[in-house]
Amino acid sequence: MGTAYLRLVQLVTGVLVAVLLSIHIVLTHLDAIFGFFGVDVAEPTAWASMIERASQGVFVGLYVALLACGLYHAIYGLRNIILEVTPSIKTGRIVTWALIVIGVVVFIWGTYVPVALFTS
Amino acid sequence: MSEGRTKRITFRVQRYNPEQDGTPYFQEFIVPSGRGMTVLEGLIYIKENLDSSLTFRSSCRMSICGSCGMLINNYPHLACHSQIEEFHSDRLTIKPLPNQSIIKDLVPDLIPFFDKHKSIKPYLIRQDIEEMENPTAEFVQLPQELNTFLQFTYCIKCGLCLAACPTSASDKPFLGPQALAQCYRYCADNRDEGRGERLPIAGADHAVWHCHLAGACSEACPKGLDPALAIQLLKRRLISQALGFGKRQRPSSVVPPPTETKPKVPFPEFTAKETK
Repeated sequence: MGTAYLRLVQLVTGVLVAVLLSIHIVLTHLDAIFGFFGVDVAEPTAWASMIERASQGVFVGLYVALLACGLYHAIYGLRNIILEVTPSIKTGRIVTWALIVIGVVVFIWGTYVPVALFTS
Repeated sequence: MSEGRTKRITFRVQRYNPEQDGTPYFQEFIVPSGRGMTVLEGLIYIKENLDSSLTFRSSCRMSICGSCGMLINNYPHLACHSQIEEFHSDRLTIKPLPNQSIIKDLVPDLIPFFDKHKSIKPYLIRQDIEEMENPTAEFVQLPQELNTFLQFTYCIKCGLCLAACPTSASDKPFLGPQALAQCYRYCADNRDEGRGERLPIAGADHAVWHCHLAGACSEACPKGLDPALAIQLLKRRLISQALGFGKRQRPSSVVPPPTETKPKVPFPEFTAKETK
């Protein structure tokens, strides 16, 4: 049943990535749309704006969640593709652990800056 | 040669004898073809008149046994179920089913295919072993309960779905659409209590989750089954079971067979023979 849970999480993270990425794109790259509706988002890609967002818990949470969901979805999908072409159980085990290590390292690396900015 | 055979069709047949040939090669045969002639009849013509060493499987000639599955013009078909004129071509390329090793010419090795079929325990599993060993009664099954899996009981195990499946091409241990559809068939059967044994097999690596939902299996099936649907339904069962919700199906009870039989409907008057 373990695989069913992992697969379910991949489906859920796929939906979450779509939602969280849409929020990120709208907030940071589609400021013209906000402008159209009269909301002034002053240069969202500017350094000062990014630092300001990083000090808000909602945004830190959003980006950490986006990174976690994106990483899980990508790494589990990649594992499935690799296992499909390397059917050996031993290779499968090595690939699984290698991807887990890569995922954890990338997650820690990716969350370090926003968390450090938030806590400083 | 019978009358009406007007067209001459070129059969480009893949030949391969592992004991003699290094690699498969193609050999061409000219076969006179008429209306309604099947590819299998063309192959039988070659074997009887042109080259008796050509090897292929066939038996029933009416798409029931599933023996004559082969790749005709690069698509899996039953040779007995495919008329030559369907292909609208004077040239047919015939190869053995892919995703399986070749025993000789057009004969694939179906042992791995049947091993996968066996691995999902394709039989009714009940807790009351005594009743299974020495049946005293019948398991109750309503028509609507039968309809939940009826189409999957029509599988003839021809292997065309496995040959069409793109996942099976790259992932050799993949259980394949036939075995997974049969797994669903038995899990959906209300007489069965073997879900606990089958679902872990279906939910493991190289099983349902590796299906890309290409749908090629459903398109190739000569009996009109939809194995892709069965795989999706199996995924739903696995997720439902993992989350602990979904319909809890109680195994059907046993009832003694009916003792009274319905009387036969008498022949209508106009068909009854005169006894005078």
